Amino acid sequence: METEQLNLRVSEELINDLNVISGLLKVNRSEWVKTKLAEEVNKEKNRLLMELSTLYSKGMIKKKDIEELIGKEIAEEMEFIKQTTLESNKMGIKLGKKLHK
Amino acid sequence: MAKNSINEPYILDTSALLTLESASLLEQVLILFSIITTPRVIKELKEFANYEDTLGRIAKRILKEEKKFSLKNQSINNKLEHVSETDEELYNLALKENLVLITDDIKLTRHTTHKIKRVFSTMFLIAFFKAGMLTKEEVLEKLELMRNIRNWKDNIIYLLTKQELEKSTVFQ
Repeated sequence: METEQLNLRVSEELINDLNVISGLLKVNRSEWVKTKLAEEVNKEKNRLLMELSTLYSKGMIKKKDIEELIGKEIAEEMEFIKQTTLESNKMGIKLGKKLHK
Repeated sequence: MAKNSINEPYILDTSALLTLESASLLEQVLILFSIITTPRVIKELKEFANYEDTLGRIAKRILKEEKKFSLKNQSINNKLEHVSETDEELYNLALKENLVLITDDIKLTRHTTHKIKRVFSTMFLIAFFKAGMLTKEEVLEKLELMRNIRNWKDNIIYLLTKQELEKSTVFQ
């Protein structure tokens, strides 16, 4: 996995707290921070994408806006899921007609 | 909710089976349609059933209906990149039999674009509502059960299906 250096300056108080956690859990301080950071980033990313997908589904934001905000890949995936759902709904209506007869 | 079988065949993957059973719709789907799947899908369900969590319990209920499925072995003649062998098998089956694949797996749906016809399992919910087999209240309740929102992708399916159901009326 490729990595990139992220330079952070943290307070002495935070370092002390990390030392307490590291000592009690018997884990490497940097590794623990990396794990927690990954968890938080994932959680926040999902939360924001949920909000964005809600706005998109309700027509309050366009594909172009999403592209500008976070890039083409996610914008295209949202568009793809939307189109497939609309196709599924159309097929459901056709099937409903057959069942109704 | 009783209706006569129209016996139309559909291929279902693991994700679709789990979603439909989560809303107690599979029984009706099995009565009305001819449901085809592969032994590998059954194997995947058995793996889910090894766990005592929600999906494990749903998988156990599906496996009780195993005899009602038409199981077909399918060789992988046309390769599909980035998906599992189970998915490749289902894709080949849909291609060979020229049937619609019902799946809620976005990755599989994406990689089969323009190759086979595939739709999300919410199609059945819309159909049952339009045919007057379920009331609006019932379908919206079932959609909540199927929702299983784990990520933004499911969120789009849920919201757009809900919009369709809210504006829809039953065929007269």
